Amino acid sequence: MVRFKHRYLLCEIVSEDPRCRQCIDERAVSAAAKDAVARTHGDYGLACCSISFTVKYLNAYTGIVLLRCRKDFYRLLWSALPFVTYLENRNQRYSCFFNTLHVGGTIRTCQKFLVQYNRKQLLLLLHNCTSEEERQSIQKSVLSCCLKEVEEEQSQSGDEEDDCAETD
Amino acid sequence: MVFQSPFRLDPQTETKCDWVGYSTVAINHVIDFKEKKQEIVKPISPSELFPSLPIVQGKSKPIKIVTRLTLVVSDPSHCNVLRSTSTNIRLYDIIAVFPKTEKLFHVACTNLDVDLICINVTEKLPFYFRRPPVNMAIDRGVYFELLYTPAIKDSTMRRYTISNALSLMQICKGKNIIISSAAERPLELRGPYDVANLGLLFGLSESDAKAAISTNCRAVLLHGETRKTAFGVVYTKKTPRASEEEGVLPVCKKAKTEV
Repeated sequence: MVRFKHRYLLCEIVSEDPRCRQCIDERAVSAAAKDAVARTHGDYGLACCSISFTVKYLNAYTGIVLLRCRKDFYRLLWSALPFVTYLENRNQRYSCFFNTLHVGGTIRTCQKFLVQYNRKQLLLLLHNCTSEEERQSIQKSVLSCCLKEVEEEQSQSGDEEDDCAETD
Repeated sequence: MVFQSPFRLDPQTETKCDWVGYSTVAINHVIDFKEKKQEIVKPISPSELFPSLPIVQGKSKPIKIVTRLTLVVSDPSHCNVLRSTSTNIRLYDIIAVFPKTEKLFHVACTNLDVDLICINVTEKLPFYFRRPPVNMAIDRGVYFELLYTPAIKDSTMRRYTISNALSLMQICKGKNIIISSAAERPLELRGPYDVANLGLLFGLSESDAKAAISTNCRAVLLHGETRKTAFGVVYTKKTPRASEEEGVLPVCKKAKTEV
């Protein structure tokens, strides 16, 4: 079966400036990544990585980005990501860096990882939060996602056959 | 367990370290002998900087901070500091040396009592690596250090970093390497997966690159500990008793057989 295989890189954009989160958008992130690849691997690298390169998912509030590229060239892209130092949008530059969290073959694996990661982040936030209302709202969200997990497990025990369809 | 090495003390860098996933951080003090005679100062204790250590993401333990000294040597007389028994040197957990000439590199690999040898990444190496001193360093348990933050900042330094790293790789075949940052600002840090990937760029194999940020760093810390305390490792082993029918021996003789 001929199918183009991809790799999905789940990254988090870490920055000190709170305004940076607002300027995260698809075009800025894709331009920053391509620019880093061009500087690190030259014309060859840029050409290889841009074959099937897209930003599949973007969450400006948490700074999570999901990048896709071909399986044969994902190393070129991955090794160029540490060299991103800023994001540029509307002539405004914000310093930041990309922290790679997970590399997966399908969007579903990355999503599973992201769900677990967000759960851990919620617990960390609970640990660090300062005011009482924040604490209560975080506690509510932690409770709600834990209860959802219990319900999901009960319903998933019936349909295990769906997972065999993932080949990569 | 991974390890970073910021140069300047900056509480924000530490918080980014644990956010990104590092469980141990080394704070570096650089002593350069080219300038006027400098004395080795006592290391600043981490508890003075941070009242409460942040917790590493993904684990429940707080981040561990160790102190480290880097000596920039360009003259054989500078190495005497290491042999002197000044108490301040013993307070540092890790000692690193930055040789500037070929002779000093040879001396550092063979004789000097250090844990790390820093490889210059900001300019073309004035000397070539040769196999005998590098092999002796590997046998002794001394590690070579590569920095990656200059590569992020500037493109000429990136070229020098990669070329120096590749020439080192050809001689040492990827053993005894650690990759660390010389981050002065929190935005110059990179996560462990990204740094392992940079190792691939430097010519390491995948397993070597992952070891370069985890197991090798742990080995350096242990090497530093042995240098501080016992100059070696002592372990005790229980020897099995020769026979059960020894009869009733006096108590002092019995104690000797249990090592």
